[in-house]
Amino acid sequence: MKAFIYGVIIVGIVPVQSVVLPHLTLWGVKPDLGIVAVCLIGLISGELDGLLVGVAVGWALSLFSAQDMITGAILKGGLGFVAGLAGRQMVYLSPLVLVSGLLVVSCLVGLVTPLALKLNSQQDLWWAVWNVALPQACLDAVIGGAIYWLMWSQFNIEQLMSESRM
Amino acid sequence: MWMVNLRVTSNARRVALVLAVVLILGVLLLPGQLQSVFQGVGGPLGWLISWPLRAVAGVHDRIAGVWGSYVALQGMEEENRQLKRELELLKEQNGQLRESAAATERLAALLEFKKQALPTLIAAQVIGRDTGNWYKTIILDKGSSDGIQADQGVITPAGVVGRIVKTTASTAVVLLVTDPNNAIAGLIQRTRDEGIVEGTTQGQARLKYIPLLSNARPGDRVVTSGLVEGFPRGLAIGTITRIDKEEEALFQSAELTPEVDPNRVEEVLVIQSAQLPTEKERLSPPRPKP
Repeated sequence: MKAFIYGVIIVGIVPVQSVVLPHLTLWGVKPDLGIVAVCLIGLISGELDGLLVGVAVGWALSLFSAQDMITGAILKGGLGFVAGLAGRQMVYLSPLVLVSGLLVVSCLVGLVTPLALKLNSQQDLWWAVWNVALPQACLDAVIGGAIYWLMWSQFNIEQLMSESRM
Repeated sequence: MWMVNLRVTSNARRVALVLAVVLILGVLLLPGQLQSVFQGVGGPLGWLISWPLRAVAGVHDRIAGVWGSYVALQGMEEENRQLKRELELLKEQNGQLRESAAATERLAALLEFKKQALPTLIAAQVIGRDTGNWYKTIILDKGSSDGIQADQGVITPAGVVGRIVKTTASTAVVLLVTDPNNAIAGLIQRTRDEGIVEGTTQGQARLKYIPLLSNARPGDRVVTSGLVEGFPRGLAIGTITRIDKEEEALFQSAELTPEVDPNRVEEVLVIQSAQLPTEKERLSPPRPKP
């Protein structure tokens, strides 16, 4: 069941990201559902799931972007791994902590990505922070918080986490 | 507030750690090979993902069609009137251009110029946009199985759209002319000065490396120079809106408004073979005439 859900996420995230989300932008920036999904999977299911799903999601997304595939796969995979490690250290996770965490993590990824991609000189770090990283981080945090709230209201997350990490 | 169960199998942790280390070592030691592995294995994954992508794009197009046909009809009358005026103007220009083309053909025949081979074009539909925020790209519904390869030029009848940067079996990614990471060799049509067109972060384009003595001015059209693979000479790129000449600079640059609005493009043509001479052909001595 878990593998099926991961498969649906990996295959389904590309159409949503490339067809639906361009209509839901903030200052021309759309959220990165890959970051949100990988963080939540890492937190709930642990570092192995986070790493593997992260690599697959990053790879799938970069197949349909000009972004180079290694950067996409490594960044998302690393993010899933770190989210898994963070999930293990947490005693409890409130929605506020999750939203703040997503904001910080998405910002950090937004700072690392232009350096890793070696973009044009017009797209310097200052430009990246104000024009992509910050708006994207805000959107990611809001969407992540909403998904978490939905999960929290529908499922017993404590039980889900315990089962996933067993 | 909930408690996290920390009972995690140590095997999963070990496997995750080993995989992470292998991945990092792979990136550090064999980046090129890893890239080709990802590209190679990505074929089936890309094919699999292209199905839901096409399905979602189809639903999106239908919704957009209904919206365009019934809801967004306000202001059509004024637009129609304006288009009719433009059509009259273009008819007049078309007549003049036909005359010029006929004259050029006669002169070319006289000078025994080699006729430029017409490129083969593949029509494709736009089914999506870039999955990230760092590049300005569009996704096409045709891929390597249709003969599309990286570095091929993409145009509409109005002008240049961009260049293919990545393909799967059934899709292709086009880096738009307005992306700062794109570079196309351009030529100012009136002055014949050459330069490099690259995108800007504001969604426009810029012609760089124009000679200082050039008398280019706003309103001049910029076309492809045909010096770079993918685009034959003479395809419209944009119109100059501003010239930037800095003190002590070696070159001028010009701001362009692209001929094609990349945000509204729905169908494109991929230039499959521009029949440009390769570097070897260009550098080899000319063949003697029989």
